[in-house]
Amino acid sequence: MGLKDKYAIVGVGYTPQGRVPDRTALSFHVEAISNAIKDAGLRREEVDGLICYRHFPPLGGEPDVTPYLVAQHAGLVPRVISQEANCARSQLLNAMGWLDAGLCNYVVISYAHNPLSGGRSFGQRTDNYTKAVFGQFGATSGYAMAARRAMHTFHTGPDTWKHIAVGQRKWANLNPVAVMNDHTMTYEDYFSSRWVVEPLRLFDNCLVTDGGRAYIVTSVERAKALQHPVVTVMGIGQHNPALEIEQATNMAGPTGARLSGETAFAMAGITLDDIDACEIYDCFTYTVEITLQDYGFFKPGEGESWFEGGTIEPGGRMPVNTSGGQLSEAYFMGLTQITEATMQLMGRCGERQLGLQTNTKKPEIILCSDNGGILQTHSTVILRRL
Amino acid sequence: MDVSYQKPLPQPNADDRFFWDGCKKHTLLFQKCRNCGLVRWPPSIICPVCYSQDTEVIEASGKGKIYTYAIYHQVYHQGFRDEVPYVTAVIELEEGPHFLSNIVGCEPDNVECDIPVEVVWEDITPEFSLPKFKPVL
Repeated sequence: MGLKDKYAIVGVGYTPQGRVPDRTALSFHVEAISNAIKDAGLRREEVDGLICYRHFPPLGGEPDVTPYLVAQHAGLVPRVISQEANCARSQLLNAMGWLDAGLCNYVVISYAHNPLSGGRSFGQRTDNYTKAVFGQFGATSGYAMAARRAMHTFHTGPDTWKHIAVGQRKWANLNPVAVMNDHTMTYEDYFSSRWVVEPLRLFDNCLVTDGGRAYIVTSVERAKALQHPVVTVMGIGQHNPALEIEQATNMAGPTGARLSGETAFAMAGITLDDIDACEIYDCFTYTVEITLQDYGFFKPGEGESWFEGGTIEPGGRMPVNTSGGQLSEAYFMGLTQITEATMQLMGRCGERQLGLQTNTKKPEIILCSDNGGILQTHSTVILRRL
Repeated sequence: MDVSYQKPLPQPNADDRFFWDGCKKHTLLFQKCRNCGLVRWPPSIICPVCYSQDTEVIEASGKGKIYTYAIYHQVYHQGFRDEVPYVTAVIELEEGPHFLSNIVGCEPDNVECDIPVEVVWEDITPEFSLPKFKPVL
């Protein structure tokens, strides 16, 4: 397909992350965007597209984080501007469309939030009373239902998920900016963490993080004139089963990952054998298992033996979530994955860098996923270093 | 309203008021498409399969099986503070719809996917009754 290797990621912006008190969500957006622009070696006047990841209602006293307010504070006057309010994960595809249409030259995509210090609970929404009257709240319960059905259907469970939680933690232990950098995790630690919504324990849940993350997309031609190694979008796919979890019958697979993955691999013209590492959206451990399963890394129920022996860890044959991911680094929706893959392909990951240093394959192609809702939306992105 | 009831209450809307009116009479009512026969939940003006708006309301048997479930150990709402651990479940009803509810009359550890259940009614306020489900022994 026509978009293969046509667009590139040329800059990544970080902010302080973890528990970062006395900061507005807006301030993290602006800091992440300015750092991404500086990292790319661009001037702000050159950035002519802005996409803010999902909108959250402002916490008390804070301004509403609209994309135009973000643009104002970042000194941007974008030709095209966008933000979504839920979890459709089409931001990169949108950016590529704007570039392909010739409307923009450089698009910045940012996500920022301050839920930890701001006290936002992801569990107390009562806006859908047909669920709230029965005590159904938050994302953990939806994924718990998916995980439970998967346990029943193909006999997965905590013995599989422990490998994901512990394996990703080992990567976080090599990442100085990971929230869990100083905290090791054993299988015993995993099993002794408290139930949140059974069958999911605390250590099956992603982190809640203050901070922001941003990256910049442009054409490969423009990328070649900039300072970093060129990291292109080799393949991209989406699939959105859309059904809420209470109505879904695909929660044990195939999720949106199946068709989304097939689309991205078809565009890239490669197979799983060409993938050197994965950055998989990990709102929960089970999400990692079902995504890798639907991509075809293993058959239903064979996840436990696939993960066993440190497959995804430093030194493993298929590194997964090499920053620690959202379970152990920080939660920035799909930006945690795309930015980490970009930094790995650019060779900028320090102690956790894939290659000789971590006894892993030097990465040329990394597979990324993003999903939203309760397995309702899915995006696959295959990045490669030219 | 019973002031001692601390949990969220239904807020019937134009689409689902018939359902809650039925619950008050301990009947489990669903829309059925007159064109293709799909029994649907949540309620909608149109059949999502055949796009017919020709709809009747049927009373479901209240029998089904547990498609999946979750055991809440964390309190997300103060109204459920004294209930943990409690079970939410998706019930696959005989007529087809998947319906979110609670499993009652059974220890959480004894709940399993695909076991048969039947409706039991909980009158929470003078205005509202909730359909909950218990395993059929």
